[in-house]
Amino acid sequence: MSHARITSEPPPPVSESASSAPSAEPAPLRSALFARYARLENLRYDYPLVLIDGGEAARTLIRPLTRIVDDVLKAAAPPDASGEAIRSQVLKLEDKIRGQVARGQEGRLTELWRDCAAELVRESGEERFGPIDANLDKARHSLRLDGRVIGCDEATPVKLLTHAWQVKHEAKARRFRKKVEGLILRLNDILKSDHMKSDEAHGAGALASAMASNDDGTIDFQALSEVLHRVRPEDRLPADRVRRIRGALAVLQGQPFFGPGRASQAFPNRAAPYGYVFDSCSEALDAHRDRLPAVLDFTMALTVAELEVENKYRPELHDPVFERFDESDLTADQLALLPSALICLRDGVSETAEIARAYEALASGLPITVVIQTDDILGTTAPEPAPNSFGAGTARLAAMAMGLNNAYVFQASSANLYRMHEALLHGVHYEGPALFSVYSGATPTVPGVPAYILAAAATESRAFPSYSYNPAAGPDLATRFDLSHNPQQTADWPEHRIDFEDREGQRDVETLRFTFADFAICDSRYARFTHPFAREAWGVGMIPVPEWLALTDDSDRIQGPYVLGVDDRNRLMRVVVDAKITEAARRCNDAWCRLQELAGINNSHALRQLAEERRKREAAARDEALPAPAVATAATSVAAPQPDVTTTTGAASTGAEDPAPADDGAPWIETPRCTTCNECVQINKELFAYNENRQAYIADPDAGTYRQLVEAAESCQVSIIHPGKPRHPDEPNLADLLERAAPFN
Amino acid sequence: MTASMSQCLLQMVRTDYTMSDYQSEIAPRWCSGCGDNAILAAMQRLCRDEQLPPEKTVCVSGIGCASRLPHYMNAYGFHGIHGRALPVAQGIKIRRPDLHVFVTTGDGDCCSIGAAHWLHAVRYNMNMTLLLHDNEVYGLTKKQASPTSPKGFKSNTTPFGATLNALNPLTVTLGITNVSFVAQAVDWIPDLLYDILSKAHHHKGFSFIRILQRCPNFMEHRFDDHVRDPSSTRILTHANGLRLKPELSRVYKNQQTHDPLDLGEALSLARLEDEIPVGILYNDPSVPCYDELRAGERPSTPALVEKVLDEEFDKVGIWPDPADAAEVGG
Repeated sequence: MSHARITSEPPPPVSESASSAPSAEPAPLRSALFARYARLENLRYDYPLVLIDGGEAARTLIRPLTRIVDDVLKAAAPPDASGEAIRSQVLKLEDKIRGQVARGQEGRLTELWRDCAAELVRESGEERFGPIDANLDKARHSLRLDGRVIGCDEATPVKLLTHAWQVKHEAKARRFRKKVEGLILRLNDILKSDHMKSDEAHGAGALASAMASNDDGTIDFQALSEVLHRVRPEDRLPADRVRRIRGALAVLQGQPFFGPGRASQAFPNRAAPYGYVFDSCSEALDAHRDRLPAVLDFTMALTVAELEVENKYRPELHDPVFERFDESDLTADQLALLPSALICLRDGVSETAEIARAYEALASGLPITVVIQTDDILGTTAPEPAPNSFGAGTARLAAMAMGLNNAYVFQASSANLYRMHEALLHGVHYEGPALFSVYSGATPTVPGVPAYILAAAATESRAFPSYSYNPAAGPDLATRFDLSHNPQQTADWPEHRIDFEDREGQRDVETLRFTFADFAICDSRYARFTHPFAREAWGVGMIPVPEWLALTDDSDRIQGPYVLGVDDRNRLMRVVVDAKITEAARRCNDAWCRLQELAGINNSHALRQLAEERRKREAAARDEALPAPAVATAATSVAAPQPDVTTTTGAASTGAEDPAPADDGAPWIETPRCTTCNECVQINKELFAYNENRQAYIADPDAGTYRQLVEAAESCQVSIIHPGKPRHPDEPNLADLLERAAPFN
Repeated sequence: MTASMSQCLLQMVRTDYTMSDYQSEIAPRWCSGCGDNAILAAMQRLCRDEQLPPEKTVCVSGIGCASRLPHYMNAYGFHGIHGRALPVAQGIKIRRPDLHVFVTTGDGDCCSIGAAHWLHAVRYNMNMTLLLHDNEVYGLTKKQASPTSPKGFKSNTTPFGATLNALNPLTVTLGITNVSFVAQAVDWIPDLLYDILSKAHHHKGFSFIRILQRCPNFMEHRFDDHVRDPSSTRILTHANGLRLKPELSRVYKNQQTHDPLDLGEALSLARLEDEIPVGILYNDPSVPCYDELRAGERPSTPALVEKVLDEEFDKVGIWPDPADAAEVGG
């Protein structure tokens, strides 16, 4: 959750005071980490999110309001003090829009902007067209994007993915119309030029109607017609070719797949376009079956048309092909021309049987996008999942879908959708089955925690990790599977620092690792498995949950695993949790480690092989050392200082105030110009770190990916991060990354 | 990458056009010894080697001896009006981008009356090939000086000799914005003429070929020295341009390696006075083509055009009777 920035208010300190022992009715608990995000509407974070209109050309589907406002300010406000007024006014406006969206008043960005600006002007007491109005208007002119603004709630996943699908559908419609209408035009040309040679076209009536007026009868159309008849060319089209062209034309003009677009052609045989958004898999699969004849007819007509415009249709060759044409002849590019289906399912609302069908739909290989929205990860406390639910552990649905191997799989919580927008874009444009599993954060049994915070906590606690699996990305798991959008992906649990006041009002710091248990204690159904203890009752037998999980079974100490929580008055507690929660945490960690292995982190095969290699090498060294011990000691004594030299020089260069641009392609930062905006360290705090002046430097260039370097360079407000050259040539999408890095090198 | 079904089906149909498939029923009526015949032969050879379907090939011309070429090609043809071949060809290309468009024109048709169209056709850079048959004289009207006639040339209109220096079509073309392909050929080395024509045909954009062409009746012996003395012809070769066959290489020893992207060198070659440069002077495939820039998102079917016009008119339409409005609007 470190990406939620606190701007308007300092984090409210967690005050701790004397409290009595836990009462019989436990107060609602929250994880201690949530205390600093008390009032979300005051923070600049990923929401409200703008669903960008027609984002096919611009590679953006979605963009947070804060980023759009930052772009506007970059363009409209001078960077010096003279821009201060406009900056603060626009930020106030952003605040107002955020407030409106939080109250559920969603709308288009330009409309919200206009309404909120008018309100700001009214509140300021200024006249219209006064300085505030003028500044906000100037900023509005720098708005390059528009679209619907949405907040983070239970409807977010479906709104966002429907928008993404719609953008793709519109792009497909444009491609389709260009192709099909081009063919219609050319087929019509063929028929028209043939018609010009007909008796009818040369008849006196046709000639007369082609003229504007002949009131005085100066033109004798009968005579003209006879003249033309004499020179009429003889080479008319064969009747079967005309029939074939007319047949193909009728099918192309009557296609039911896409609507007419801007200009409708009033063909009598045009069917109303099919709908492609479903809320059950059965409906979608039935529709696919019902529409198959139309798909086949259309595909054949399209192929005939393509042959006819090239004058390459040979009945003796091609007729047999079309006679036995069936669905097995449909190719991927023929299907890609037609719309893909969107199925929106919701945990607890859609019928359970639909999951099985979802896998059937995905396994079919058809271009079907399935969105499964989960609102509740933990499920009921009963051992069996509720009957009308996909069951606790919906997080595993996406992992199961990866087993299908041909489907694009995307999983993220609402809070992580923007960070994953590149994967989202790839998934939307994937020509084949795709599964999007999204956790909305709107769990009804967690009262008082905003959906965004809970969604972020689900990612943070590994209960709902973010990842994507793209079968089109490359041949191996390393290029297909991406786990990098999780916080501190190499760790079991991400680590955080919390500041609080102790009893004397002194500032104190505690480190906590955010586990599944921290996530679970917020759920009111799980309250009975928690036992909060105030400061006075903290005992020696309590250990944090991560340490407890690391204990081996043979440990005979009896200890209480705890997580740090706060009550409704922000008092710090140790919350001891039951085996019910620790067991779930263990399972969650197990699933997370499996994902890590898929991503190449702590891969058990690799580790085993490494250990084996090390053992062999050591054995070989031992064997060598035995016959000539004197030489071996000399070698080690010479070799030993070597690493020391490199480490000291390395430390010196990274710690230096102003590292010179390195020629070796290493990444570097113009540290003295750093404005401590946290963008880079939020991306990877091992790769980037702050020096003693709280200015960023590259702490360890090998601690992160080139992608992170490039993303940091892009998000750096003062453009002082220079990503250099990639250190690992196998990193996926390097060409794209290098292109993005170029402006910063 | 797999081929689409229609591509597979298209490949089932083999065509086998021969030279005679491109020869119309009308025999050429050019004078014997006229260089135009070599140009026609090179055109037909290109069509055969590329298997261009006659119904997908268009030859457009203006007025002059050269402009008779469409009559002798068995393909679509448009014998236009004087100097206006290029606008006609551009109209054809923008409406039917699938056609192969060739423009044949002469030094009078292109460089005199049609000069404005020549200039803008180069700038528009539409995908077509222009063959400038340059015999340096008006032949069809029996010997008058043309813009490319050499200074001092005595003709019916210049009995005391042409007063001005000749216009150089190569330097002019090379100087026009968006120029993308300029070459020079001579009718008396047909192999090179063919090679250059082929390169021009494969170039995406406006290909300008000036072909020095002998006129045995009104410009007799003009190029005799060059025909007899191969060393006065400088052949421009390059890995991205012409590559000479060994038998030609033995005869034409005056060769220069010239990078077709080098505009400066192309200009100085175009200005050569004593020698004739033959080959590709300039070739930049990256210049954008007007026909591609203007290709709309949707093909302009008649129905679409009508509908869009209706929509525009409806914006300012006044419906006296609300019932009519509902009917039309709905």
